[in-house]
Amino acid sequence: MAQQRAGQKRKVVEVPGPESDGSGEEIAEGLVDGGLSDDGESEEADSDEESLGEFDEEDADEVFDGDDDEELDSDEIPSSEDEEDVRQQFGKLMTTNGRASTPDTNLMGSDTAKDISMLSPDTAIESLPTNDKDHRNYSVSVDANGNERYVYGEIDPVYDSDDSDAPAAANTIGDIPLSYYDAYPHIGYDINGRRIARPAKGEALDSLLDSIDIPEGWTGLTDPATGQPLKLSREELEVLRKLTRSEAPGDGYDPYPDMVEWFTGKGMEEVMPLSAAPEPKRRFVPSAHEHKRVMKMVKAIKEGRIKPYQAPTKEDREREEAALEYASYDVWANEQAQPDHPMNIPAPKLPPPGYEVSYHPPPEYLPDKDERKAWEEQDEEDRDRDFLPQDHGALRKVPGYAKFVKEKFERCLDLYLAPRVRRSKLNIDPESLLPKLPDPAELKPFPTTNTTIFRGHQGRVRTLSFHPGGQYVASGGDDGTVRVWDHSTGHQLWHIKISREEAVNAVAWRPTEDTCILAACCGETVYFLVPEIICSPSVQSLSEEILSAGFGYATNTTVTKTADGHDKPAISSWSRPSAALQERGCLLTLTLHSTPKTLTWHRRADYFSTVSPSTAATSTAIAIHTLSKHLTQHPFKRLKGLAQTACFHPSKPHFIVATRQRIRIYDLQLQQLDKELLPGARWISDIALHPSGTHLLVSTYDKRLLWHDLELGNTPYKTLRYHSRAIRSVAFHPTLPLFADASDDASLQIFHGKVVRDDLANATIVPLKVLRGHKVSSGLGVLGVVWHPSEAVAVSCGADGGCRVWT
Amino acid sequence: MGRIKKKGTSGATKNYITRSQAVRKLQISLPDFRRLCIFKGIYPREPRSKKRVSTSSTPSTTFYYTKDIQYLLHEPLLNKFRDQKALAKKISKALGRNEVSDAARFEKNLTPKLRLDHIIKERYPTFVDALRDLDDALSMLFLFANLPSTENVPPKIIAKCQRLTMEFEHYLIRTNSLRKSFLSIKGIYYQATIQGQDILWLVPYRFVQRTGGDVDFRIMATFVEFYTTLLSFVNFRLYTSIGLVYPPRFDAKSEEQGAELAAIQLEVQSGNADADMQDVTATQTNEKAQTEADRLLSLPDAEPSEEPQTNGDAAAEPVDGETETQDTSTTLDQFASLDPKADTLLQPSLTADASTASKLFESFTIFLSRETPRHPLEFILKAFGCKRVGWDTSLGEPGAYCSEDDKRITHQIVDRPDIPLPSPPLTDGEADMEDGEGGAVVRKSNERVPGRTYIQPQWVWDSINAGQLQRADLYAPGATLPPHLSPWVKAKRGEYDPTVPLAEQETAAEVEAAEAEEDEVDEEDADDALAEASEGEEIDGVRGDEEARALEDELEDEDGGMDVELAGSEDEEEDKPTDAAAGAADDDGDFGGFSDNEADADVDAATRAARDHQAELEAEATGKGVAAGKAGDKKKAAREVSQAKRTRAEREELEDVERRKMMMPRRKRKMYEKMVYSNARKDEEAEVLRAKKRKIEKGGGKKSKA
Repeated sequence: MAQQRAGQKRKVVEVPGPESDGSGEEIAEGLVDGGLSDDGESEEADSDEESLGEFDEEDADEVFDGDDDEELDSDEIPSSEDEEDVRQQFGKLMTTNGRASTPDTNLMGSDTAKDISMLSPDTAIESLPTNDKDHRNYSVSVDANGNERYVYGEIDPVYDSDDSDAPAAANTIGDIPLSYYDAYPHIGYDINGRRIARPAKGEALDSLLDSIDIPEGWTGLTDPATGQPLKLSREELEVLRKLTRSEAPGDGYDPYPDMVEWFTGKGMEEVMPLSAAPEPKRRFVPSAHEHKRVMKMVKAIKEGRIKPYQAPTKEDREREEAALEYASYDVWANEQAQPDHPMNIPAPKLPPPGYEVSYHPPPEYLPDKDERKAWEEQDEEDRDRDFLPQDHGALRKVPGYAKFVKEKFERCLDLYLAPRVRRSKLNIDPESLLPKLPDPAELKPFPTTNTTIFRGHQGRVRTLSFHPGGQYVASGGDDGTVRVWDHSTGHQLWHIKISREEAVNAVAWRPTEDTCILAACCGETVYFLVPEIICSPSVQSLSEEILSAGFGYATNTTVTKTADGHDKPAISSWSRPSAALQERGCLLTLTLHSTPKTLTWHRRADYFSTVSPSTAATSTAIAIHTLSKHLTQHPFKRLKGLAQTACFHPSKPHFIVATRQRIRIYDLQLQQLDKELLPGARWISDIALHPSGTHLLVSTYDKRLLWHDLELGNTPYKTLRYHSRAIRSVAFHPTLPLFADASDDASLQIFHGKVVRDDLANATIVPLKVLRGHKVSSGLGVLGVVWHPSEAVAVSCGADGGCRVWT
Repeated sequence: MGRIKKKGTSGATKNYITRSQAVRKLQISLPDFRRLCIFKGIYPREPRSKKRVSTSSTPSTTFYYTKDIQYLLHEPLLNKFRDQKALAKKISKALGRNEVSDAARFEKNLTPKLRLDHIIKERYPTFVDALRDLDDALSMLFLFANLPSTENVPPKIIAKCQRLTMEFEHYLIRTNSLRKSFLSIKGIYYQATIQGQDILWLVPYRFVQRTGGDVDFRIMATFVEFYTTLLSFVNFRLYTSIGLVYPPRFDAKSEEQGAELAAIQLEVQSGNADADMQDVTATQTNEKAQTEADRLLSLPDAEPSEEPQTNGDAAAEPVDGETETQDTSTTLDQFASLDPKADTLLQPSLTADASTASKLFESFTIFLSRETPRHPLEFILKAFGCKRVGWDTSLGEPGAYCSEDDKRITHQIVDRPDIPLPSPPLTDGEADMEDGEGGAVVRKSNERVPGRTYIQPQWVWDSINAGQLQRADLYAPGATLPPHLSPWVKAKRGEYDPTVPLAEQETAAEVEAAEAEEDEVDEEDADDALAEASEGEEIDGVRGDEEARALEDELEDEDGGMDVELAGSEDEEEDKPTDAAAGAADDDGDFGGFSDNEADADVDAATRAARDHQAELEAEATGKGVAAGKAGDKKKAAREVSQAKRTRAEREELEDVERRKMMMPRRKRKMYEKMVYSNARKDEEAEVLRAKKRKIEKGGGKKSKA
């Protein structure tokens, strides 16, 4: 009631004037507080007062309606004290009201009417002008009693005219969220109760359109049974909605049905199980049927058919046990063999005893002192047999075996505790595992022994070359000399000292028999030697002719070069050596800008190539020279990797270059790379091409010898690693299926390497012989190996200063 | 990407189960699990990779097959074990309430009786399977039969073991199926052949067995429980197969008196005796066929003897004709291969035959002296046909055929240092000789009785192993016995065989090493002789030379003889020692791959030969005889040459092997090396034995010389 009133009051206060806004609110609060504080004690008084107040109100001004009420309220307590007092006060109040009734004073109005009357006029007067300066809508006049009288002017009925604070189209829905109006097209009401339309937005329009498009009952789900879009009727949706809210699903649903009385209720009452009927006679008379049965038993006992129970005697028990203990039937009466399960491993039988277990073994089986001691010192688990053989001369001397029970116990443990594993024992001759290699005798001839040693070089012998005729061997060494030997006798036939300081790095005979030209690389120069002692005059003259033939051509080339206008420095210079050298047999020199380490001839003997790995520019590392034209070419503009060695293909116009790790085969005609091999070596030392040109041997400093089948692929077909040190050199025999390699471990290895022309068969490689004889000097062993052109003779040169002929 | 597999749900893990898992799965205690495993013959497995198999982080040690354990789940014994457990609870509860009589009643009435019949049938589906697994069972039961009774081993079990083993022995005696036996330091090994299965077992000597603290008799008792069941079923089958009643009558009284084998009396199955006889013959013929099969199956090692087959047992057989024809069919012919290169097949020996076994001691009456082991001898003799075995009364009264004084005794087995011959007639020897009875009474117990062969027990064993009677004089009392050899060792190539003379199995290298040693000794001897000679007869110096020459000749002869042997044993050594040096020089051409030092050696040898020859010539020219030392030198040279040759051949072979090994893949090479290693170890062992033998022989020779 009090609240209701407060609500009314608030509205009322709001509407007329905001002047008293602050005070009004205070008042209202105070009122509410007061109203709440007095619950129902003064209700009766209230009603009285209201009724009283009603009179006054009618007299009083409308504007101060609320104030009056407040007064009434504030006076409730005193009024309850004494009705007479109340009346007096009322009388006074009326007067005060009439004078200056301001809410403030009223509020302050205390117990005594005096205070009020004293205070109120001043404050009221003072306060009013401060609040309502602008809107003095009244005029003060004097009424008939001589009191002030307010005369109010006409209120302008035009809406909004007097409301400066409120916005024009203020929404009047108050303090509730706007979302309440989501379902409606308007968002509230203005002060006039007209609907305020929702401002249209794009989204709203869209959603409107969408809502129009969506068919009735659309859910966005598909019916799993039909695959059609699942449609739900309004009722169904309603049910769902209710279910989600845990409400009763439908109107017809009764959550509290009436109980159905199945067992109780009317007509179901239990009938009392007592009856007054007299006991039948049969209850007191012994059963005839039972009697009959008992008599049957008595008869059976009498006849001995039924025996009374007797506790089994000891004998019976024993008999029973005996029957249990000893088999009384054949378990295997109808035996059927079962196939052995593969997982079943039968326990291995103990091996039968050997000679050494005998009580009187042959004397050689008895342990001697050392063996006995060793056995006794051994740990028990390490012993290979758990007893020592002993000799007892006669059976009576044999003692009991102390460990018998222990052994049997251990056997028991083995039987049930030891995991069993089936091990296949290879009971074969180990010989059968070895591969069948052809008998070395069948692969003969191959070099086996050292027959001759060439002595004469000081320091290492670096290089060797067999004359194509097969009789002479040229060698070059650190002492700067080139020597020619007869391989069969070991005599030195000819020698020349080319240089004092520099070593001879490579020697190579020109591969034709009609000439006798030896090319030797020493320092940056290639010397062409014609040893006159070993060649006939005709051969010598032909050789000289060939060597000097290029001089005429050389002038031609210089002419063309000048005509071209190039002013390049010559990459090489072909010249005649000094007269002293010419005297000794050196007829031509070729000087390069780098030190050539290897020299190989083309099969047509007109071209040869030099490789100088230590050159500054990789483009000049490999040079191909034409002897007849005295021409030098660098075929590669830029070579990848450091060139190591090179060789010509024996039949095709191919040129094979080995860098440190790669081997490349170039087609000289097409001027392009034909193939690249990947031996997988870290540093290639030498390569050797099979005379057929289809297989390539690569020796490496990382102790490996690699066999490449050029038709198979670019990885090695076989990798042989039988040397303990770096391999320096490798060579194929020109005619026989042999090859040899020379290593720093001072050994040569001879292999049989048969290459079949048939593409289907792989090459067979058979190790034949390890030749030892050279000595290791300062870490270097055998430096080179060459084959006789037709015989199975190999010549090797070593760091120990000797060359050895192996036959 | 598939789902990530959970560990331990597939693969090898599912096949294996650890022991603790198994125990948990079966819901029994660990001892019960152990018993179950022993009964059912379930054993742990070794998975290929333990790590892959184990599901837990802690490394488990024992794995079982999951299926094995699964199969244990349905074992009826499992329920028995649970009953046992329940009973134990009941008893303990009753005892806790002080209701002793209740507890006793529970124990009496409720104790579950374990029957292992179904397990026997399950583990050994056929009788032959059971026979195959009888080795361990017999060894174990014979051990328990000889154990003293303790709290761990109740006398009941011992008695049962004794009875079962004796029953088994009776069967072997009856069918003569014992084949071999061997006296070892551990005990006596026996081998019988039943239905083609060789059964080998070990019986300890009759001494109180020492039982250490680390022997768990509960485990052994479990095994014994199973084995007794097995053996009793096997015995039943064996007895019924030859028409005997099982169990045979057991005379407890005579057993107490020490009757042993005689305590059991075999009964022929009652009902129709004729049918029984038929049965017996049928089984015997079966036996015949069986033994024939056995002979084919077994690969015996003893030398076949040329004993003529006689039909001695024809009288005993009811159906003469049949047996005769069978005899002719069963005698095996000896196959002699004509080509020595051909493979020689092992031929069955005559021991593996019931008929020969039954006849070996048939005609003898054998008496066992008091110091001999009665039980094994009685068993073996009876199993090999001896019907009349007597023994001293101190060895047990009942069952003995005769007393020591019996005239019928042909052999007496004694194990004493020596027994003196009957003392020459001291007082009334003649009279003694006249009336044997009286003489026997008066005769001293330590003296031999004339008309008997006295032998040591080993004679019996060696005879049965050889399949024929051995020379009795070798086994006379007090004599040094020949070594007793195991009949099961089969000599393999390269292994030492004590039955073959040393010379036949020595390698050439060993022979030469031995020779070198010998020569040194001989030379010393020769020097000594020379010194002696020169000392003795200084004037007649020629005689010393002559002696030396004779010695030289002798040596040369010996050398030649050795060389012939060598040629037989090794093909490579073909050259005579006289031209060995020359041959070595010639050989150069044939052998391709020498290195130079080898050649040098050859050259050296050749030059030395030449030098020797030169010296000889010189000596001749000067008129002096070649010194005896020269001969030794020559011989030494020849030996050196041959040695060099052999080492060269060996080296070449080694080189060849190395060459071939180079071409092998690594895995294969490793395997090869392993095999070579193990072979080398065996060879080494054999070599040690041979060296010892040689030493012994030489020592013996010296002793004999001295």
